[in-house]
Amino acid sequence: MSDAIVELSHVTKRFGTFTAVSDLSFTLNRGSILGFLGPNGAGKTTTLRMMLGILPPDEGAIRVLGKDIGQVRERIGYLPEERGLYKRMRADAAIAYIATLKGMKHGPALARARALLESFGLGQFARVRIEGLSKGMAQKVQVLSAVVHDPEFVILDEPFSGLDPVNQSELETFIRGLAAEGKTILFSTHTMQHAERLCDRLIVLAKGAKRFEGTLDQARQLLPRRARIGGNADLSFLAALPGVAHTTAPSAGQPYWIADLKEGNDGSGLLAACFERGVPLTHFDVAPPGLHDVFVSLVGSAT
Amino acid sequence: MKHTFLIARQEFIKYVTRRGFLISVLMFPLWIMVVIFVPQWTGGGSGTAAHRHDFAILDKTGGAYRDAILASLARGQGSANWRYVFTPRDVRDADAAHFPQAAHAALTGPLLDAIVVIPADFATNPHHDVQFWSEDTSDTDFKHFFSESLTDALRLKAVQRVAPQVRDTAIFDVTAFVQSRKPSKGNEAVSMIDSVVPIALAIILFVVSVMNSSVLLQGVVEEKSTRMIEVLLSCATPREITSGKLIGVIAVALATLFIWALVLFGLMTLASHDTAALVVTSLGAIASLHTLPFLLLFFLCGLLIYGSLFLAIGSMAASLADAQSLLGPSMLILMLPNLMINAVVRDPNGTLASALTWIPFYTPFFMMLRISSNPPAWQVWGAVVVVIATTILMILWTGRIFARHVLTTERPPSLGNLVRGLLGRAS
Repeated sequence: MSDAIVELSHVTKRFGTFTAVSDLSFTLNRGSILGFLGPNGAGKTTTLRMMLGILPPDEGAIRVLGKDIGQVRERIGYLPEERGLYKRMRADAAIAYIATLKGMKHGPALARARALLESFGLGQFARVRIEGLSKGMAQKVQVLSAVVHDPEFVILDEPFSGLDPVNQSELETFIRGLAAEGKTILFSTHTMQHAERLCDRLIVLAKGAKRFEGTLDQARQLLPRRARIGGNADLSFLAALPGVAHTTAPSAGQPYWIADLKEGNDGSGLLAACFERGVPLTHFDVAPPGLHDVFVSLVGSAT
Repeated sequence: MKHTFLIARQEFIKYVTRRGFLISVLMFPLWIMVVIFVPQWTGGGSGTAAHRHDFAILDKTGGAYRDAILASLARGQGSANWRYVFTPRDVRDADAAHFPQAAHAALTGPLLDAIVVIPADFATNPHHDVQFWSEDTSDTDFKHFFSESLTDALRLKAVQRVAPQVRDTAIFDVTAFVQSRKPSKGNEAVSMIDSVVPIALAIILFVVSVMNSSVLLQGVVEEKSTRMIEVLLSCATPREITSGKLIGVIAVALATLFIWALVLFGLMTLASHDTAALVVTSLGAIASLHTLPFLLLFFLCGLLIYGSLFLAIGSMAASLADAQSLLGPSMLILMLPNLMINAVVRDPNGTLASALTWIPFYTPFFMMLRISSNPPAWQVWGAVVVVIATTILMILWTGRIFARHVLTTERPPSLGNLVRGLLGRAS
C-alpha cells in the first residue's frame, strides 16, 4: 500500500480572472503532520477545499487516500476555520450528526460523541446548546466532530484561531495525540509557533504558489544565522567585519545588537573582535533564524 | 440517498423545534378564527356586543314605507341593535336647501346615526331614490336592510293590486336554493368540498411556501456565515444537500398541515358534539375527490418550486441583508397570484385564468384554483407536464446555483452572470 495520503499534481484553481492556486504539487505521507502556511489570500483554504472535494480544480489532479475524493469522504475529518456547527443543536447531537453524515449509525455515533465529550472534560455540557458554550468549548466540540468517526486523514483550517493560550496548548496536545494514533494531519495556520512545535513538514504558500516545502530545519537554512550581542558600547564596527552581512542597533523592546551572518559564518569572529577592542559584553548567542523570519522573508519576496 | 435523508431529517428537526415554528403554525388558524368570529362577537352579526345604530325615518309619502321598515325590523330582519327614533324637529322642518346642515348637526350628536329620507313620489317616480344620510356610510348591512325592506314594500304594493287580501311582506321571506350537479358525478349533488378544498389548498400552498421557504433561506445564509456549509459539503454533494433541504421543507409543510387539521377538528369539536362523524364525513369527501391526485401533485410541486427559489436566493446571498434585498422582488413575484384569486375564481375557465395557468411559476397555484371548475382535459394534463418540468428544472438549477455560489462571500451575481451560470457557460 502506498504511503501517500494526499497527492496534488500541478493543481490550479481560478475564480474568473483571479488565480487562487497556481500549479501546486505536493505529497503528504501517512502519519505525518503538515503545516500549511501562508498569509491571507495565499490560497490555503482554496487548496483545502479542493482536497475535500468541495471545489473542483481547473487543472491538475488530486488523489486522497489513493482514490478520487468522492470515494473517501467518510475517511476524512474536517475542521473549518470558524465554528461550523448549528448554534441551536446540543453538543452531543452536533457531534453525532457529523458522525452520521460520515457513515456512522446514529446510536453508536451519539454514544461515541458523549464518550469523547466526557474524555475532554465536557461531559456535563453534552446536552447544552452550542450557543450556550464558550468559544473554547465550542471549538473543542468542533474538533471532536472532525474526528468522531475515526478518520485516517484530518484537515484542520486555522484550528488555533481565537483560542486563548491554555486552549491552544490543549489543542496542540490533542493534535499530537492524533498523530501518535497514526492519523495524518494537515493544518493551516498564520501562527508560526504552532507550526514550529507541531509540524514534521511545512508548505509555505503566497499568492497561490508554493514558496517552500520541507522540514523546519530546511526552512531555517533558507536564512543566514543571526548573532545577538548585549552591551552598552557602540558596536556598529561589527558591520565592517568580513562574515557579517548586516547589523541592527538595539531599539525599543529589542535590547541587543543583531548581526546577520553570511553563509558559513559561525559568529566566532564577532566575539574575537569585541575582545580585541575591550568591549564589555552582557550577552552573546548565535541562533538559526525563527520560522517567523523565514515566513516573512518568503512571503515578502513574493509581494 | 442516505445523506439526503440525514440532511432532510436534520432540517425538519431544526425547523420544527424552533419556538417560532409553533407560534407561526398556530397563528394562521387563530387568525382565521379571528376573521370569522370576532366580527360576530363585536356586532358584525347579531351579537349582543354590537354597536347600536339609532335611525330616524322621514317618510314624505305619509308613513306607509316607514311602517314597512319597522315591520321588517320587528320580524327580526336586520340587527337587534338597530333602533328607530323620532326624527328631530330641526331635520323634519328643514327645507331642501338647509337639510344637509340640519342633518349634519343631528348626525354628529350622540342621539342619531342615520336618517332615511323617503321622497313623496318614491313609488311613482323611479328617478327619486330613497336617501340614506349618515356620517358613516361604510356599514353596508345597515344600508342594505333599508333597501330590502323598501323593495319588499314595493313588491307588496304590486301584489296587492291583484291580490288585495295579502297584507304582509312576510310572504317574501322565502329563498330558492340551487343545487349544483355535475354529469361526471352521476346523480349526486356537488359538495361544497369539491370547490372549497382546491381553493383552500391553493391558499395554504402560498402561506406554507412563504412561511417555510423563508426559513430555508435564512438557514442557508446562517450555514454560510458559520461555515457549517463547508462541513456539509465535505460530507455530501451539493445535490444531496439541496435535495435534503427541500425534502425537509416538504416534511415541515406536511407537519404544518397536520397541525392545522388538528386545530380545525378542535374547532369542529367546539361547534358540534358529533365531531367523529364530521371528521369522517370531511375526510371521506376529501378522499373521494377525483381531482385529489392532481391537487396533491400541484401542491407538492408548488412547494418544491417555491422552496427551490428561496434556496437559490440563500445560496447567492452573502449576508441576511443581501438575502432580504433579493427576497423583496421574489415576494412580489410570489404575491401576484393572490391578487388574481378573485378574477380566477369568478371565471375559472376564462381567458385570464387560462393564460395565467401557463406561467410555469404560477401553474400549480392557478391550476389548484381552477381544477374544480372542470377545465379542459388538455389544459389539466398540459399543466401537469409544465409543473413537473418546472420542478425538475428548478431543482437542477438550484443545485447548480448552490454549488457555484454557496461558498462565495461576494455580492450576489448579476442577472446576466446568473443566467450564463444556469446555462452552464462561464461567467
